[in-house]
Amino acid sequence: MAVTVTSFCAAGSYAWAMLPRLRGAWTLALLQSAANSTAVPQNRSESGGTHWRRREVPRHNRLLGIPRTKKMPVDQDWSNVYPVAASFKPSVVPLPIRMGYPMKKRAPPSKEGNLELIKIPNFLHLTPGAVKKHCAALKNFCTVWPTALDSDEKCEQHFPVEIDTVDYVSAGPSIRNPKARVVTLRVKLSKLNLDDHAKKKLIKLVGERYSKDTDILTITTDRCPLRRQNYDYGIYLLTVLYHESWKTEKWESEKTDADMEEYIWENTCSQKNVLDTLLRIKAAEKISDVPREELLASEIVENYKNSVVLLKNEGETEDNMSKYKESVKKLLNLQGFQ
Amino acid sequence: MAALLCRQNWAARVRVSKGKKLVTYEAAHPPHYIAHRKGWLSQHTSNLDSEEGAAERLVEDVFIRRFLHGTFVGLLAQEPVLKRRANVLIICLVLFQNIAPAKIYFLAAYTETLFSHFYKCPVKLEFQTVSSMLVYKYLCAPGPHDWMKKPLPSSASWNFPRL
Repeated sequence: MAVTVTSFCAAGSYAWAMLPRLRGAWTLALLQSAANSTAVPQNRSESGGTHWRRREVPRHNRLLGIPRTKKMPVDQDWSNVYPVAASFKPSVVPLPIRMGYPMKKRAPPSKEGNLELIKIPNFLHLTPGAVKKHCAALKNFCTVWPTALDSDEKCEQHFPVEIDTVDYVSAGPSIRNPKARVVTLRVKLSKLNLDDHAKKKLIKLVGERYSKDTDILTITTDRCPLRRQNYDYGIYLLTVLYHESWKTEKWESEKTDADMEEYIWENTCSQKNVLDTLLRIKAAEKISDVPREELLASEIVENYKNSVVLLKNEGETEDNMSKYKESVKKLLNLQGFQ
Repeated sequence: MAALLCRQNWAARVRVSKGKKLVTYEAAHPPHYIAHRKGWLSQHTSNLDSEEGAAERLVEDVFIRRFLHGTFVGLLAQEPVLKRRANVLIICLVLFQNIAPAKIYFLAAYTETLFSHFYKCPVKLEFQTVSSMLVYKYLCAPGPHDWMKKPLPSSASWNFPRL
């Protein structure tokens, strides 16, 4: 049954054309061929009924315009095609992409109406040219890095306290995230004005927050609901720690050996024992009384002291043990022995 | 292995008892193919570790899909794809060309306006049209001798009621 086709001009109105039945792929149909086509829609649907199925016969099927992929000049600016992030549009992306698991002995489904291509995020709006344009536009809003701060050391010297905060972005109507209130303060203890006692007291006060390898004190605050409050609290903590470590309380004089951070040789039983031994050696050799200070200052005792301090502070290593051995041999005049 | 166990699973599977069914790529793949052959229809960050709002996004998604099924009656060639990019909700549709373009534009603007008022966020609707159904597979009813082709595992002899 022949079907007459009236065709109008492309602008504004649409032409009724009974195009040949298409399966999945869009093809360009010229006006003339559409006018002459005598495609007869079969009066039978695929599943065996005798009436029209909507999916088979589009009712308002105007002659669609030529897709943009056919009208693109080769030297066009791609950022005009995809200026912003947008889903995949098959009529606009001039690539013959196929996506999906293929049926047996078939190619994967083509790009027209391919939901898998629409589901995935694409970066067609972020070609290198487009990124350059973004950077050029953003440059007007940027300020130059201060020339005086041209090295890490200078930054550390002028800004010793480093503050870390994290901002969170998520997909949804709310910009609030409770994790964003956490503030971390980092400072090197060498930049603070601390004497020996103050430094040791500060390290005892902060405990695990001080890292010996990097000499960095890290204070993390999250007990307040707002970031500004947590920042203020962190600065307050740093100030209090500094001032408290300079003070000496009355009960600090009760510091015992167990509280000491490192081994100090003066006034220990080791020192007493060495002095005793040396005095007895001198007595056996019938040398007159040698003053204690001279003995203490002698090289043998210095050697022994250094090796003991090393052993106690750094632990037992090959080096330390051999040093200790040598110093004991010298002390007890046993140079001949291995 | 999954194919053998599929006899007792009825979730999101198209089964044909009589005749032939044409199915799209989405419908032809049961849910165990998600992340293997299928992507996700809805994308947002709430399902990531220690992120909030998963339940709210899910309820929104359910409503949006019902609304779209009702507004674009008979026009949806594929399931709508919902994407959330920061505050913006992007709805990607593939439509048939059954109605006049002016009407499609009206329905799209109507959807965008109503959703932006419901959810207080910018809503963008991006749609493409397709002239006929995108058939991926023809599913046929099992024939009289199909039971002989695949041996059932022993567990399949239990008759679970169809839910």
